[in-house]
Amino acid sequence: MTVKRVTFLQELLNFMGLAERVHLAWISSAEAQKFVQVVTDFTEKIRALGPNPLAEYAAGAKAARLESNSDHRSSHLAGDR
Amino acid sequence: MKTEVKRWLETGIVDVFLGYKRMMNHPLPYCFVKADLEAVDDLITGPARYSLEKIATHIASVRPDLKIGMLARDCNQRALNVLFIWNQLSPDQVKTVNVNCCPSNLKQHGDCSYLEPEKAGTYKQRVGLGKALDPQAVEEFSPQERLSRWMYEFQKCIKCYGCRNICPVCFCKACSLENKELIGTGALPPEAPIFHLVRAVHMAGRCIDCGLCEDACPVDIPLRSLYRKVNEIVVAVFDYETGSRPDQSPFSVLGDTVALEPKPI
Repeated sequence: MTVKRVTFLQELLNFMGLAERVHLAWISSAEAQKFVQVVTDFTEKIRALGPNPLAEYAAGAKAARLESNSDHRSSHLAGDR
Repeated sequence: MKTEVKRWLETGIVDVFLGYKRMMNHPLPYCFVKADLEAVDDLITGPARYSLEKIATHIASVRPDLKIGMLARDCNQRALNVLFIWNQLSPDQVKTVNVNCCPSNLKQHGDCSYLEPEKAGTYKQRVGLGKALDPQAVEEFSPQERLSRWMYEFQKCIKCYGCRNICPVCFCKACSLENKELIGTGALPPEAPIFHLVRAVHMAGRCIDCGLCEDACPVDIPLRSLYRKVNEIVVAVFDYETGSRPDQSPFSVLGDTVALEPKPI
């Protein structure tokens, strides 16, 4: 079930333009070497991709909320949307 | 059709019949009953549509003994199939009158409020995504462009829950979209894209592409395109066509064998 859901999610995120940032691997507690390998490889891949672009949107949305809360009436009157 | 519906009600083939009636000049969903047979004369069909099967599930959850008749287009039929599979309705308790729907090679004339979705304005065309776009048309944009266009659309969301409330196959008693731990509350827009993607994920194996969510959305988020992609993935990866299959969705059953491998890094 997990592999079904994750495969689906990977395809969906790719459609949204957020490819390659989800990875699934099965690692037993006896496979320390494999764990290190997977985490190292994935970290390298993510580092190469750079920061998650969603962070920028989240910061932008937060700033917009603060602004509209503190200055709601005046901006509304000025017709500034 | 009206004579037939009257006969159904009179003879007890159905206890209630869900259709549309013009009220205050609007075609609204209406529940016809035996006690008021004359009202059936006002039963209308036309492009107006609503998830009548959703009303049926609400009725069935309170009165599972009632037999329910309803008008059904193709999308209503697909939704009914899904609701049967998910045990929200039983095939024995629902009887349908099929009405004209989308045009096809076999029938030229179609009755649906969705035949010609509004054209996107110039600004939306430049920074967002139009209604009823094929997923392929969306995929022509680069990944960065897709992200910015989807985020433009999602950030308009006013979290009215219209998409969920109209959805014929949304029937869960506890909805993840109202779980405070999962979706933050008290701020607009809701956390994009989490809010929208959670819903999209839950549509896998359920969405029957009726397009009512997109019709209902007050800020014109192209939800139908998003869920069409969801359906495409479900067909491509699991070979499951939601709404036209009698078996359970791949997300409800484990299956006998593991057919998928995790993707390489």
